[in-house]
Amino acid sequence: MIDLLKNPKFISMVVLFLLLLSGIFFYSTFSGLLLILSLIVFGLLSMTWKDPRIKLVGLSFMLLLAIANISLHGLKYGIDFQGGTRIPVLLEKPVSSDSMSELVDIVKKRVSVLGLTEAKVRAVGDTQINVEVPSSDEQTIKFIEDTLSHQGVYWGVIDGKVAISGEDIYSTSILPLNSQQLVQSGADWGVTFSVNRHGAEQFAAVGKNKADYPVYMFLDRPTNAVLLLSKAELRKSLPEDGSEKEAFRSLSNALSLDQDRNISVYVIEDLNLSALPTPKNNATKVLISINASDEIKSVFNRSGFIVTEFSEVDITPSYNRTKAGVLTVGSLEAVGLLSAPMLSPSLATGVPNYGFSVTGSVPGTGAEKTAEAQANVKKIESILKGGSLPVQISLGSRTTLPASLGKEFLRLSLIGVVASLIAISLLIGIRYRNLRATIPIILISISELIILLSILGSFTIDLAAMAGIIAAIGVGVDAQIVITDELLKKTEENIEEKIEHAFDIIKTNVIVAALSMIPLLFSGLVEIIGFAISTILGSLLGYMLSRPAYASIVGLIVGGGTERDKNEKAV
Amino acid sequence: MKLQQDGELMDFPNIFKGNYKLLAIPPLILILISLYFIPQIKMGVDFQGGTLVTLSLKGAADAEKLKADLASEGLKAGVEVYQTTTGYKAEIEVPQSTKLVEAEQLKSDFNSKLPKVSSLEILALQNSSETNNYLVKRAELEAISDKIFALAGISRSQFNITGVIEEQKAFSTAYLKVYSDYQSSISLPIEKHIAYDSISVQTVSPLLSSQFISKAINVVIFSAVLSVLFVFFFFRTFVPSLAVLTGALSDVLIALGAMGIFGIPFTLPSFAALLMLIGFSLDTDILLTMRMLRRKGDPREKAHWAMKTGLTMSVTAIVAFSALFILAILTHIPTYLEISAVALAGLVGDIFATWGINAVLLLWYVERVNA
Repeated sequence: MIDLLKNPKFISMVVLFLLLLSGIFFYSTFSGLLLILSLIVFGLLSMTWKDPRIKLVGLSFMLLLAIANISLHGLKYGIDFQGGTRIPVLLEKPVSSDSMSELVDIVKKRVSVLGLTEAKVRAVGDTQINVEVPSSDEQTIKFIEDTLSHQGVYWGVIDGKVAISGEDIYSTSILPLNSQQLVQSGADWGVTFSVNRHGAEQFAAVGKNKADYPVYMFLDRPTNAVLLLSKAELRKSLPEDGSEKEAFRSLSNALSLDQDRNISVYVIEDLNLSALPTPKNNATKVLISINASDEIKSVFNRSGFIVTEFSEVDITPSYNRTKAGVLTVGSLEAVGLLSAPMLSPSLATGVPNYGFSVTGSVPGTGAEKTAEAQANVKKIESILKGGSLPVQISLGSRTTLPASLGKEFLRLSLIGVVASLIAISLLIGIRYRNLRATIPIILISISELIILLSILGSFTIDLAAMAGIIAAIGVGVDAQIVITDELLKKTEENIEEKIEHAFDIIKTNVIVAALSMIPLLFSGLVEIIGFAISTILGSLLGYMLSRPAYASIVGLIVGGGTERDKNEKAV
Repeated sequence: MKLQQDGELMDFPNIFKGNYKLLAIPPLILILISLYFIPQIKMGVDFQGGTLVTLSLKGAADAEKLKADLASEGLKAGVEVYQTTTGYKAEIEVPQSTKLVEAEQLKSDFNSKLPKVSSLEILALQNSSETNNYLVKRAELEAISDKIFALAGISRSQFNITGVIEEQKAFSTAYLKVYSDYQSSISLPIEKHIAYDSISVQTVSPLLSSQFISKAINVVIFSAVLSVLFVFFFFRTFVPSLAVLTGALSDVLIALGAMGIFGIPFTLPSFAALLMLIGFSLDTDILLTMRMLRRKGDPREKAHWAMKTGLTMSVTAIVAFSALFILAILTHIPTYLEISAVALAGLVGDIFATWGINAVLLLWYVERVNA
């Protein structure tokens, strides 16, 4: 023991262990990946360093990390074990894997706006996305369904009037400008689209004589709201030469709209508490920063507003200056104002026009510039398409599993895990009728089980993963059996040679197990990926950690210490 | 202290002594039976499309009566009722609706024509000489939407369609109606006749099921190619490699046959279990082949020794999957049932395939080479 403390290999393993442990402690989102990393690190060390004690240390450290992870972060279960609701989102057409991951992100964002951070969003094939929430509350589910199926409404507003709305735009005509068109227009990026007659006429009328006015592009602009800002928020991205007054005026201009859809702007510090704005009706919202004082929020709440909070970023306006030097608002997420290109003089003649383009330039050079330009194209495309979703979606029938039933499934499954472990222990006991060989096998199987649960539980344990875990207990002892059988065989070989023979067989077995399951891992068949992951991790774990450790334990027992028995013909 | 000697271990007779070729008879019979039953494998909802409704019932129910009740409402569906540890459970399987398949086809036709017609309409708005061309194409698009209107049971006059934009909206409305009609044709009769605590509806659209099929085929091809390449690369001798692959293939055939006999549907979970079987069955085959080819001694003794280890491996796996199988019987969770049943059938099949086919081929090869 004492010489182990002086062993540099052991000390470096302790350092690695502490590093990984603190990683798991501080970065809960990455704990699963960190555990896999630990498995690989300790696995490689156990495989390269011959000292049998080091191999045992590797397995013990891995086990400790797994236990630490479970006790710090708990295990995550799918709705099958937790109860909850699954809502399938069906896409109108198959999408590429890039668009799919983009879609999944958008859906995630939409759902997380509702504060449902526990919602899981994942792609099923290339035409479906599943949203799972650990709740069966009817109201919550309805809310999510509404949010998901909602198609955004696009408005282009010029000088307080709607010049163009998404309803008049041909969705298939919304396309990025090709390089030739870009050269012609002298822009770095651009998006074209066409409108129908109604759109063309409305734009002509509203845009007449409004050259160089900003076209405020809104997505889902609130129609019944007031905006409440602090001076700091108003000023935050103001150019140095701008004044507060100027900023306030440009913001009021940007948010003005006819037909009683105006959004009035108030500055918190200038509020006269005795003459507060009054809500139009009981649906009027006040848009306010989440950092605003509770006092001000409750004052507005009492006077009949619905208080809607936004993050600091979303409620901070950005500004531009026109060629004429007028300060205008470029974007303000809280009101759905996402972009504000200037109206080109050729569109301000009052003559109906069917084809439009939004163009812009970006600073910088090379790849950075291209990426920035592309991001702008995507943004404008998605605004014009009136929803941030690039394809049309519909909702499938939802599945609800009551939490009580999920818990019952989990309880029974865990009983299944334990039962399987006991049955296999008995079997091994009967087969070898030798406690010294049996107990290490059982202890190692339990460690494997804990490590596997901890890794999978950092992601999600669903039915397929649970089945894989139960299976891994049975398949996981295979290697220990091969080793034991080799060691017990009466031959002229010594322990090292026997263990080597056993490892040859085990190595190929692990490769084969991995090869047959890896294609499944990359198939995108999410229903059964859990099974593939637990099977592959199970063999990897066994190969890299438990098997070397087991071999050294059995080696120690059989010979009373490998070093002493190196040349002894064993057993 | 020393471990027990080999002779004191649980032992069984060496089946490879005597005319070992006879050992191939049982697996060959099993394979023949399997080949007969493989065409009878039932496709699950995943691969066939359709809807699977799973209900936790409030009380006991008679499957035949439920089936008749649903049929009286016009819902033709397979109904099964199970008693589980968590109460009674009903599974209602509704085959793929032809309407849905048709709607899916119409949608893809519509979407493929839409960009062209849109751009012609835009041209026609600005230049009247394009109008005729536009009207022809527009009529083609309208013909497609008329078909979906008919499927949805709504008429064109319900919409105020002036251009392609409205046409597209109307089409979407009709398409969604076909979908929701299909869903309510299932849910309404169920609501009316069945008292339940919880419901799970799994609808696999024609598009999704065809994707599942093509993905599954890809996975099978990749796994098979990787396994074959690995085995040949690893052994680098033709006959033993072929023997290993024959053993694994026989195992999968026996597992598939069992699916046909016992009515285990072909679904994503049973597919995953089949893939795992390829790996497991190669495991025992490789153990056997390595001991036979790379160790010294009498071939039949080595085969017997490998069999003892291999059987222990198989039995532990069988025990683990039996635990899962019992759990599946108690809870009737389809994922558990399909995985464990296929795995159990395959593991039992593997014992026959490895020691009856692979071992026999290999012994014959080794003894001939030695001679």
